[in-house]
Amino acid sequence: MDLKKYRWLSLIVCLLLVVFALAACGPGISEPAEIEADDVSAEEVEEPEPDAESESVEESEEAEVVTITWLRLAEWNAADPKIIETFEAEFPGIKVEVEEIPFSELVSQINLRFGADDTSIDVISADVPLVSSYGYKDWLLPLDDVFTAEELADFLPAALDAGTYDGSLLAAPVSTSTQLLYYNADAFEAAGITPPGQDERLTWEETIDAAQQLQVVGDDDTVEMWGFQWEQTTAPYQLLPLMGSLGGDYIGEGGLVVDGVVNSDSWIEAATFYYDVFNTYKVAPQGDAVNGPDLFVNGNLAMLIAGPWQISNFADNAEFDWNVSRHPYFEGGDVATSTGSWHLGVNSLSEHPEEAKAFVRWLSTGEGAEMWWRDGSHDFPAQQSVLAKFATHAEFDDPPMSFNRVAGDEATQGPIPRPVTVGYLEYDQIFRDTFQDIRIGTDPAEALDTMVDRLESEFAKYK
Amino acid sequence: MKNRKKISAVPYLFLAPAIILLVIFNLIPAIATFKQSLFAEAARRGADPIFVGFENFLRIFQDPVFWKSAKVTLFFSLIVNPLQTVFALGLALIATQKVKGIGFFRSIYLLPVAVSINVVVVVWGLMVDPNAGLLNGILKQIGLMEQPFLTSPQQVLNTIIMIISWKGVPYWALFFIAALQAIPVSAVEAAIIDGANKWQLLIRITIPILRPIILFVLVADTIVNFTLFVPIQLLTQGGPQLASNLVMYETYRRGFIYGDLGSSSVMLTIMFFVILIVIGLQNLVLREKN
Repeated sequence: MDLKKYRWLSLIVCLLLVVFALAACGPGISEPAEIEADDVSAEEVEEPEPDAESESVEESEEAEVVTITWLRLAEWNAADPKIIETFEAEFPGIKVEVEEIPFSELVSQINLRFGADDTSIDVISADVPLVSSYGYKDWLLPLDDVFTAEELADFLPAALDAGTYDGSLLAAPVSTSTQLLYYNADAFEAAGITPPGQDERLTWEETIDAAQQLQVVGDDDTVEMWGFQWEQTTAPYQLLPLMGSLGGDYIGEGGLVVDGVVNSDSWIEAATFYYDVFNTYKVAPQGDAVNGPDLFVNGNLAMLIAGPWQISNFADNAEFDWNVSRHPYFEGGDVATSTGSWHLGVNSLSEHPEEAKAFVRWLSTGEGAEMWWRDGSHDFPAQQSVLAKFATHAEFDDPPMSFNRVAGDEATQGPIPRPVTVGYLEYDQIFRDTFQDIRIGTDPAEALDTMVDRLESEFAKYK
Repeated sequence: MKNRKKISAVPYLFLAPAIILLVIFNLIPAIATFKQSLFAEAARRGADPIFVGFENFLRIFQDPVFWKSAKVTLFFSLIVNPLQTVFALGLALIATQKVKGIGFFRSIYLLPVAVSINVVVVVWGLMVDPNAGLLNGILKQIGLMEQPFLTSPQQVLNTIIMIISWKGVPYWALFFIAALQAIPVSAVEAAIIDGANKWQLLIRITIPILRPIILFVLVADTIVNFTLFVPIQLLTQGGPQLASNLVMYETYRRGFIYGDLGSSSVMLTIMFFVILIVIGLQNLVLREKN
């Protein structure tokens, strides 16, 4: 009898445990929503209202404050908070919250969250080749009615085109870009090599030849000064100009054909050059233990190809004489440079579309655009009125700020945008994998054939 | 009769908590995954997914990347599961010896089990780094050639197997140690009286008694290794040249990087059935004859 009692008692305890376990799951699922609600009420409480006439007026004013969320790069975490504070001061009814994701995760985060009809994000920073993919999936609100004719005319035409899909402006240009060859002038002097001038353009052959002379290896075989490196070692943004300089296309007909394109002779030649930099001449590090800009700023790298956003970094942190030159090209080939950068889009399921559009307009035009360039990402601005300041303002007369003028001119020299394809996400990822494999020693032709197989596998779903 | 019926219901009620949780966290997601594999995502937002039947399966079956991934996974499983099981048994046999200093050995051999897999993978990743890794430093010091542990398609899978076995072998050995300690002394003594040597003792007494444990370890290890993800994500991302691209990683890549949930669900469904078949075969070969 007693035993039976205990059996039933323990059974009841077990069932209760299950009920508690399930109950514990419940609040966890709804947690984000609760936190958001708490945040909003906390903000409302924090709003100073010392002279409010009545409580009801206070409540209605507080209720009008709308919080929008901007999903952007974690690499911009040093952006000056005064940018958003200035916007909020101009638009007291809107509060901007920032959610930052590292570059490697941002694209897949947008893909997953928008794919799951997430409404918690109002504004996204979009890498521009992905705009057509987002447009194809109906993820962004048209912004045609957001800007005046003058504002639209102020955007660089190429940047405006890149943000347009199917005749609608879906993403507002915030920045565009180009690349410069940064070099350690002290290292050139120590090696007895004449450095290139600011308007001089080395060939790739000359660049790697110089890199071999500049490389310094210590007694224990450790490299004290690397010869050369790219900032984004495997990114299509950074490497496609290699193929472009040799006349290679970036993608085939309709944006979904790759066989005969990415394994063409010009791609194999460019990839072989890339292989040689890391594996034959060994002038660039194979690993990513320290990235290119850090190596450069620490005095362990003689030449680096990087964006103009590094000018202020090197100006603040490099304790040696450095300078810039133009992006290299292949001897007998074309001048080809990187272009394209970040745009702003509004989630088509945003619960605050008008507020989100107001923020996008503010940050991509006039004062907001200039603040974002100077104190935010330091990316190259996509507004002609801001770009014009490089040529006219005295602050750009002397180095290092004058390097922005070089960059401004370089942006017009053979810029080739990344390919337009609905499968750009897959293209980007597979490109990176392929060039990572080549970097660590895989035969270039073999790696490019694998790239074709992988891209065809992924593109099959779009056909 | 009445009492018997009541008693027979009790075990099921005791099992109910586990069954409920299994249904919620395993069965329902498994069914949802299978259902998802029969649909294509709508191109436009807000539209319902389109029922495409087994079209996603046909696409995956014609996909060379999937087949390469399947081959890598099969090769990996054929090596890693028997290897870990045999080494775990060997380690357990050593750990149960009554020799001087065995207490110290027993304390340290379990250390890898106590370290998180993420930490294990990151630390081993630093050790096998081709440029600045400890292992290549040692090889260089003793005059041997440096090795491309994670950067060569021929070596990468072996390196992954080594890393996960460092953690996995002592873990599975725990099960064997428990089983070895439960072997009846009388059976061992009887065999010794009959003149059995140590090898005969192992083959005729120990292993037959351990058969159910060997089956359990093999089955559990197979499931763990079929779903291996962390080392691939942290160290190789499936490369170089897809040489470490296990199906689980390809499933993650399609679903969570490319947002192609249809393909991802198909691969998971296929893997589910493959694991079922492999476990069924293991059961068939190793189960008790009676």
